[in-house]
Amino acid sequence: MKEMSKLGIDTGFAPNDSLNRRDFLKLSGLSSAGLLLGISFLNSKIANAKILDETGEKNFEPSVYLKIGSDGKIIIFSKNPEIGQGIKTALPQIIAEELEVRWDQIEVQQGLLDNRFGAQFAGGSTGVKSNFDTVRKAGAAAREMLVEAASRKWQISLDKCYAKEGFVLRNDSQEKLSYGDIAEAASKLNVRENPKLKDRKDYKIIGQAIPGVDNKKIVTGTVEFGLDARPKGMLVAVIERCPVYGGTIKSYDDSATLKIAGVIQTVKLDASKDATQMGAGIAVVAKNTWAAMKGRKALKIEWENPAGENESDESLNAQFEKNISSKGEVLRDDGNVDDAFANTKKIHEATFEAPFLAHAPMEPMNYIADVRADGVDLWGPTQVPGTVRRFAATLTGLTPDKIKVRMTRVGGGFGRRLMADYAYEAISLSKALSKPVQVVWTREDDLQHDYFRPAGMYKIKAALDENNKLVAWHLKSSSTSRGRFSDPNHKTPHATEVFPDGFPAGFIPHFRMEYLPVTSKVPRGAWRAPGHNVTAWLDQTFIDEMANLAGKDPVAFRLEVLGEEDKLMPYSDHGGPVYSTKRLKNVIKLAAEKSNWNKPTPKGMFRGFAAHFMFGAYVAEVVTISISSPNTIKVENVVAVVDCGLVINKSNALNQLEGGIIDGLSAALGQAVHIENGRAKESNFDDYKLLRMKDAPQVDVHLVESNEDPEGLGEMSLPPIPAALSNAVFAATGKHVRKLPIQLSDKGNT
Amino acid sequence: MATYQLTINNQSVSVEAEADTPLLWVLRDELDLKGTKFGCGKGLCGACTVHLNGNATRSCSLPIAAAAKGKITTIEGLSKDGSHPVQQAWMEMDVPQCGYCQVGQIMAATALLAKKPNPTDADIETAMSGNICRCGTYPRIKKAIKVAAAKGGKS
Repeated sequence: MKEMSKLGIDTGFAPNDSLNRRDFLKLSGLSSAGLLLGISFLNSKIANAKILDETGEKNFEPSVYLKIGSDGKIIIFSKNPEIGQGIKTALPQIIAEELEVRWDQIEVQQGLLDNRFGAQFAGGSTGVKSNFDTVRKAGAAAREMLVEAASRKWQISLDKCYAKEGFVLRNDSQEKLSYGDIAEAASKLNVRENPKLKDRKDYKIIGQAIPGVDNKKIVTGTVEFGLDARPKGMLVAVIERCPVYGGTIKSYDDSATLKIAGVIQTVKLDASKDATQMGAGIAVVAKNTWAAMKGRKALKIEWENPAGENESDESLNAQFEKNISSKGEVLRDDGNVDDAFANTKKIHEATFEAPFLAHAPMEPMNYIADVRADGVDLWGPTQVPGTVRRFAATLTGLTPDKIKVRMTRVGGGFGRRLMADYAYEAISLSKALSKPVQVVWTREDDLQHDYFRPAGMYKIKAALDENNKLVAWHLKSSSTSRGRFSDPNHKTPHATEVFPDGFPAGFIPHFRMEYLPVTSKVPRGAWRAPGHNVTAWLDQTFIDEMANLAGKDPVAFRLEVLGEEDKLMPYSDHGGPVYSTKRLKNVIKLAAEKSNWNKPTPKGMFRGFAAHFMFGAYVAEVVTISISSPNTIKVENVVAVVDCGLVINKSNALNQLEGGIIDGLSAALGQAVHIENGRAKESNFDDYKLLRMKDAPQVDVHLVESNEDPEGLGEMSLPPIPAALSNAVFAATGKHVRKLPIQLSDKGNT
Repeated sequence: MATYQLTINNQSVSVEAEADTPLLWVLRDELDLKGTKFGCGKGLCGACTVHLNGNATRSCSLPIAAAAKGKITTIEGLSKDGSHPVQQAWMEMDVPQCGYCQVGQIMAATALLAKKPNPTDADIETAMSGNICRCGTYPRIKKAIKVAAAKGGKS
């Protein structure tokens, strides 16, 4: 059964798959290890289980997160897929901190998919925040057990012993024992369930700018991405998928394909019932990638394109337009907006349009499956290894313990790899052929068969009172709901599309938010900062327009709306249950200060402001642009202030935030997927443009020093960018941006 | 199928392949040199960048028949241990996020520095704008190239 979170992510995690302890051992892939103590801090039922392995190795493994050998080798396992968010460095940093070791004393390894880790996925910027307590405990429990083992050996009381840099020391003599020396003794102790955690002021590793653990392998080209895995006897498959969404295969001729050297056979793949799993296509299986690609070109396929064929930007726009002039599901209704608009004179209204966006991670989709009668081995890039395992279990009938999922490094995710359709294809093909098969997507496949950021149309109407205070706000939204795509009967199609508790809701006496979903065959999914990547553009652009109408400075106007009093605002979406206006106002004020907002802009330069709360973090950004002739926006620089609570890794934090800003600019300046005859029009980087170095601005990110619990960082810097950029365009040209991507020459755009 | 004699990383290798096979797939599928990456297949993203006679070249769009005439260097030939100044600078600046495009970026940067040991910002932008980084590590790539240049990144 699919378990969808508030984020709309199906992680594939099902605790009931856990079966029994022996299965845990098998799943862990650590069964050669000597001692396996305890399970995790999440599963007390099986904690404290001691299992002695016959190999007799003397390892200390107090949990699934780390292993200390009697040779002194310390391995920390990273549980989640590494998609470029830096989790493979961040979580081990936290464990190493509590374990009391130096960073250069440990080795980090990617953990396998193993239920003892709990849910393992990359999504919603949750990797650090949702694991922070557990991994700290994992490190601290190991430290306490090592200290206890040493105290027993020395036969002195615990309070005379302490851990430091991989040793247990005593405060009454110079004597010390290395962690390796006492690994075996520690492995015989009961697992500490509630160890004492370190005081944050004593942190030596958390907060440091530690380079990514895979950097050396990355720069030497030796790190293994999904596309680089090569199980013995592996064949390569390239699939021609029905270009029209929802289409099927009428007939096909593979005679020319089979004549191509290296091609072995073709396999017809029928669409699964669930559109998030697999569409119809013909797979060409070959000895190597090029032969498979050539073989695909030689296929002759007649498609049956029923429902989706007539879909186009025009047909979708017609639905959007009809929707935003109709009454939608009311998601929030404070005061009485109708009366407010009837009783005020300063009313402003605008309609906004956001396009479908593709994810286009640099590593194209690919996956390897080796399906045998007795088990399945899986390799590849995914954000949801649990979903891949569930697909394999469903397709083969094997139990989860027979399915081994290896997480390769992932060449970018951005939400695309929350869908495991390409793994479904690989498992289906390997099952059909009884051989290891790697499915390889081309860039064209990637752009044409993505699960796109939903497109939408949005109408906002707002009013000022006689004192130029914002008194009414009415947002009517219509989008191709991704919830509705993955489940046509989805009960809350607005979830992750709009946020009824988000700013400026709660600050305006008369506020209404309505939502109307649009039906479409175009696949939709989560795209970096789902929902927020549009809503922040809407509310942060329109708040500027209202400030302009009020004759007030945009920053001052935002602060006025938020109010002088510091409040905790209820927030029911991911990142809640509340958000702090104090922290939001703080990043707004700091961004104004760092960008010299209150000083005149240099000649020819124009600035735009935006601020946003999402997923627990607070971000304010100032974009400075110039206009080079004719109608070309040059982004000069971006200043960002971010409050994400405690920062785990300063270097990666800045890298993530800079990257999100560049990604936001990339999308706002140049990206859209157009639908024509039921299919995506764009097909490669010549018509789907990503920002390049020559257009990348200088970015200055400032992190707010904080002792609040850590929040994620992978997505938050993106949503304010399209708004700050649109506001800068208004400052430069006097024209309001109403449609993304921004095109100054397009009359319908601004 | 024909046999091609290639010079890759100063070694002569013999490969059986169709004449139209792009060098990228010869490297990855036939020679097990998987450091060079597949990104777009059309020379648009730079993930597959190698050196052909010292020039940054998109291996996804270079047929083996054309590659056989030149001297090819891949990331595996840049250094055995990541000791090339450009690789060192990449690590020092903690450039990678997902890391997938970085081999191509490094090959483009090393080709640039071999010709212009002290590149200007404009030189860097021109040389590097054929390489896409979806994670947006451009500011760090630019800094790393400058760090490498300052240390005599030509090597």
